[in-house]
Amino acid sequence: MMLNLRPEEDKELREILTSIADESKSKIVLLIDKSGQLISRSESPAFSSDDVTFASLTAGNVAASEALSKLLGDKSLNHMFTETEDEGIYMIVIAEKYILVSIFDKVSTNLGIIRVKIKKYYDRLEGLMKRIEERAEKESSMPADINIEDIDLDTLFE
Amino acid sequence: MPFVNFATREINCKIVYYGPGLSGKTTNIKWIYDHIKPENKGEMITLATETERTLFFDFVPIEVSNVKGFKVRFHLYTTPGQIIYQASRKLILKGVDGIVFVADSQEERHDANLDTLDDMIENLEDYDIKIENIPLVFQYNKRDLPNVLPVEVLRRDLNRWNRPDFEAVASKGFGVLETFKEITRQVLKKLKK
Repeated sequence: MMLNLRPEEDKELREILTSIADESKSKIVLLIDKSGQLISRSESPAFSSDDVTFASLTAGNVAASEALSKLLGDKSLNHMFTETEDEGIYMIVIAEKYILVSIFDKVSTNLGIIRVKIKKYYDRLEGLMKRIEERAEKESSMPADINIEDIDLDTLFE
Repeated sequence: MPFVNFATREINCKIVYYGPGLSGKTTNIKWIYDHIKPENKGEMITLATETERTLFFDFVPIEVSNVKGFKVRFHLYTTPGQIIYQASRKLILKGVDGIVFVADSQEERHDANLDTLDDMIENLEDYDIKIENIPLVFQYNKRDLPNVLPVEVLRRDLNRWNRPDFEAVASKGFGVLETFKEITRQVLKKLKK
């Protein structure tokens, strides 16, 4: 299946992620898929790290932990938490296919607040992703006006 | 799973370089990373051991801007080739849109090529992906070494699906770009369907 986002869905997603980020005082909240692609992020201009790279590493991290949990005989992994000296990274699986990530400063907020605020929006987010999937399944998602010949890979290289 | 965002006008695809240990998967994507213009690439991530063997994966994000106002992003991943990392290899394949199989042309590594191909087919099946249906390119690497098998033998034993294949010396960049162009062409063509 190929996932695609319409502008109105992208807007709604951003609104939910931004609400979670604002209310939980996260630096940023990201939604990625388990294959490592960034789907959406909160409006957090202050967060300057490379979010594409961040998404791929987070997916790898969650995939490894999920495999560990299966090895231990558990069915699945629901959430995980990584802590650095100043920051916390909280990851929770949404609708089995996606990962919601909150990056926060430990001075400004804490894990409990993050989890409570995510819980508040969890059902809405899950419902929205399921709606998007159902719609995407019914229609072709490749923009009709894109021609493969237009993509000139030679211009990429020095 | 390709991902298209019509609001930010982005198309994302995942390409995985698969092959036996030391066949040159990391060398391929490192060469691409080193030769791409700075404005078209993100940060390269390497999760490797102290001896520079891939432990989990390497990652290179590449961006092609302005394709009719769209941005096309290719995420290149390599798998860890060593046998012990079977579980990790399977994780990297999740959501894959296209595969480059990097084979080691040396005669003594041919069994490793065959075993890794079987391992790949098995891992794909676990994700309900049939090898016949996924964009796939074969690369016969290390052609500059003295003890290599003829291309016909490699082709017969590995490329059983008659997919495009290339000879390469990835350490010198020979064949790297051709391989990359072919897999992106196939991935985009499939997307279009």
